[in-house]
This record gives sequence, structure tokens and C-alpha cells, in this order.
Amino acid sequence: MNYINNAAIIKRQVMVRLAKLILDDTIQDNIDLIPVLMTPKNSESVRCCIHHDRAVVRSRVKVLLGFAAASESQSDEVKLLKDYAADAVQKGEDKFDESILTVIDDACSACIRSKYQVTNACRGCVARPCIMNCPKKAIRFEGGHAIIDENLCVSCGICEKVCPYHAIVYQPIPCEEACPVNAISKDEFGKEKIDPQKCVYCGKCMLACPFGAIMERSEMFDVLRDIKDPGKTTVAMVAPSIAGQFNTDFGKVVSALKKMGFDKVVEVAYGADITAQKETEEFVERLEHKESFMTSSCCPAYVQVVKKHIPSIQSYVSTTLSPMIYTGEWVSNQWPGATRVFIGPCVAKRFEARESTYVDNVMTYEELGSIFIAAGVDVVECDEQEPDKSASSVGRGFAVSGGVANAVIASAASCGVKAVSKPVNGINNKTVSLLRVLDKTIKEPAFVEVMTCEGGCLNGPGVTSSPVIAKKFLEKMLK
Amino acid sequence: MSKKFKVSICSGTTCYVLGGAQMMILEDCLPADIKDEVEVVGSSCLQKCHEPNAKPPFVLINDYLMESASMTKVIDYIREHR
Repeated sequence: MNYINNAAIIKRQVMVRLAKLILDDTIQDNIDLIPVLMTPKNSESVRCCIHHDRAVVRSRVKVLLGFAAASESQSDEVKLLKDYAADAVQKGEDKFDESILTVIDDACSACIRSKYQVTNACRGCVARPCIMNCPKKAIRFEGGHAIIDENLCVSCGICEKVCPYHAIVYQPIPCEEACPVNAISKDEFGKEKIDPQKCVYCGKCMLACPFGAIMERSEMFDVLRDIKDPGKTTVAMVAPSIAGQFNTDFGKVVSALKKMGFDKVVEVAYGADITAQKETEEFVERLEHKESFMTSSCCPAYVQVVKKHIPSIQSYVSTTLSPMIYTGEWVSNQWPGATRVFIGPCVAKRFEARESTYVDNVMTYEELGSIFIAAGVDVVECDEQEPDKSASSVGRGFAVSGGVANAVIASAASCGVKAVSKPVNGINNKTVSLLRVLDKTIKEPAFVEVMTCEGGCLNGPGVTSSPVIAKKFLEKMLK
Repeated sequence: MSKKFKVSICSGTTCYVLGGAQMMILEDCLPADIKDEVEVVGSSCLQKCHEPNAKPPFVLINDYLMESASMTKVIDYIREHR
């Protein structure tokens, strides 16, 4: 679950400061001051000293400008942020290579490699069941207590179970533990690295890291630049999970977005209505061709899981496009040449958008909220406004797990096709193994809705509200 | 009878995004020992975020303005002042 924590708040504070400079056109003069303003002289430091804190903030600004955190050369280490900002203007989309999530080395604390640790609760007993039962002979006795050799330990956990004093604890590496596809691991210096061949952009490592060392490469710089350009029409395409993100009804968010500078506001739930209809047609056709099941395709991280890790079920994944793409297509016809910005809770949508010609940029609710703050827009104080394109409750229901399956199965039933729902609510190590054998375990006609985030998009990595609150507002929108 | 503590949680966008969101469920999370003495109300922007060096999120407990508020800070304050 996406609990608010200090690391997330600091990230948002940096976002607000950067957005303010972009909006005020003072980025060249003031951007290099952000690390100092965030951690002024004599302030309390979070890490070893304020200089370390400042170095991390500097990297955060760099990532928010859209760059990867790692320095490519020595000159990058001393490059001023204002020079990065100038590069960001020139390079535009070219600054994105395949990585979407990036690790800030200075922030990564290089968590200890060995997952099992002997604490000082060890009494150095005579029985020594830890040593007796370790299958790898990784535990030795030194100075009166047990020590685990991290090079030999295979993290089986037997020592933890047998210790009569509970002196051996399991200490996870949070990012590695959270990654469902083993895409993040340590380099030779103990710092985490993300393997782009394996990463599915789910964002779980980013939420899990207690040091806030993993960030997504932001596109807010590009979005704000287009918003400020009077010659450009900018369209906000807002995902249905917007419900309750600012503790208000959607109508207020619509006018807040327009106040902030978007010319048009469109509900992505409109595209979800189209997805629901087309996906049902596809499902019915597949079942008529004696296929046993079909999985949803609107969750982009799940699509990557199949593509990169479970190609054996690729043919069962629906080929219907996602709500974002259908919405982008509609917007492109309606307002040709407009900048199309998807606003949602999702990291993986950034990748999906890059592969499509119908979407230009992706922003999270977290980024949107920070920009509202920077622009002095209080959503609660705004009036209610209708979006330029609204949607039905079917499409809006896509924001929670079960929404897609309900829509497809209900309308398939009205065509006389009966099927059961076999949802996968949340991608983790366990459900990935389940998906691997899906084609062998499903015996009756089934629709498999897969949501990478447990509970659905309302619990995505870029949300601002607790899913409990957001769900209340969504239920209101579904009436 | 009015309760001893009135807690107004600022739900202006600044407070909400910078940590206040989690406090919206404060009412459901109050421990049993203080639950009956506390009334939780949502509030529109308390206007404190406009001041220089403001530290949102803000919460008003009776007349006391708490900055950088969190659920545990509010609960601790009430326990100390009951």
C-alpha cells in the first residue's frame, strides 16, 4: 500500500520548487539554489550531513528534468542544474532512453547483502541449533555469538526458525523484495541497479525504498513548457482513478486543470468505454474459436510482465488497446496538433505512451498536485465544471480491480456467452508463478483481469490519496 | 455536549499533497482512550501555507496550530493535553 512517508514528502517538496521556477520563468537563475533552499545552512540533516542531503536533492532535480540519475562522465558530476535545464529544453523527447525508473546512487544506502542477521540477543548457547542446522555451513562462532558469512548464506531462513532466543532476524532489501520480476540487484559497490531488459515499470521498488533512492524520470518540465506556450493547445486526459485524489469531486479537478493552463480536459474513462466494448467483442470471438481464456491488456506493467517474462501466455493477452490510447486517438481527431497529456497514477503508462503516437506526455497525480501547489491553485476552492468529454460508469469502474472483468463478463453474457472471472489482483512473485501456468490450469471459459497494483489503479504508485478515501469518491462517481 | 478537542484538518491542496492526505482517516484511527474526547472536522485551506517557510500539513487542535502534522503527532498532543 502506498503509505505517505517522509521520502515521498521530500520528493514532492522538490517537485513544487521546480514547478514554481518553471512557471515563473526563473529556472536559469534559481534552479541551482533548490538543494540549498531545501537544506539550508545549520538545518537538521537527514543523512550524514547537509552536503549529502543537498547532493541527493540535486540528483532529484535532475531526474525531475527528465534525465537519468547516474552521471555519464566526470564533467556530469560538476555540471550545473541550469545547464541540465538548458539541455532539457533542447533535447525534448530525445533525453529518454529505455530506462524509466532510475536509481540515485547517492541516495541508495547500499543495504546489507546478507538478509539474515544475528542480533545481540544471541546468548551464545550450548545447543547452537543455528550452526547445527545451517545446510551451507555459513554460521560460525566468534567472540561469544554466532556470525553469518554472507558469501555462504543462501537466505533459507532455517537459522531464524530454530533460534530459541529469536536472535536471528530477517532483514529484507526493500526494493529487491518488492520487485516481482527480480529486475533490481546490487552492483559491485552494493548499490542497486535496474536491469532494463527485465524491468516492467511497475514502480514497486520506488515505493518500497525507505531512502527514496528510486525515482521515475519526470516529464513535468515538458508538460509545463507546453502549457505556457500560448500557441499550443494542451489536453489533459485524466484517468478514472482521479476520484478523490484531491479530496474533492472530479468537477473541481476539471476547473483546477483549466486554471493551471490546460485548454481541454477529457475523461480517459471515455476510452475505457471503448476498450470494454471492443474487448468484449474480442473475448466472445475467441471463445467461439474454442480458446479457453483471455486476459485483459489495459494494465501496461502486466503487458510488460508477459512480454519480458512469460511469453508462453502472450497469445492469450487481449489485443484490444488501452483506454489511454483510445482516448488519445479521439483527442487527436478532435483537436489535431494538440499536446496530449495523460494524467494518472502509473509509471508503466510512461512506457506505453512512448510507444504510441496518440499520447505525448504522462504525468502522475503526485506531480499534478505539486504543480497545483506551485501555481497556487487550491482544488477545494474551485467551482465544479464539466469535462470536455465525459464517460459512463462502466469506463470509470476500470480504476478498481474487478472493474474491467465485470464490464466484459456482463456484456459477454448479454451476447449469450457465459464465462467466469479469474482475476489476478496485484502482481508479485506468487502471482507471477501463477500466471506462468495459467494456460495449463484454466479449464473453463474465463476472463482473467490482471492488475499490477493490488486493488487496481487507485492504489498506483503515483497517487496522492489513500485508496480508502479514493474509493469512497469513486463509488460516488459510479452512481 | 461538545467534545474537549476539536481537530480541524486542513484539506487545501498544499496540505493534502504534502502529507495531509493520510490524516483524512484520523477519525477511524483514534485510539480508544481518547476517541470520545475528540471531534475531527475537515477544513478548507487554513491559509497558513502562504506564509514564508510554511511547514505543511497544518492541523488546528482547538487554538493550537500544529505544523508538519502527522497522525501520531496529533494523537500524542491530545494525550499530553487531556
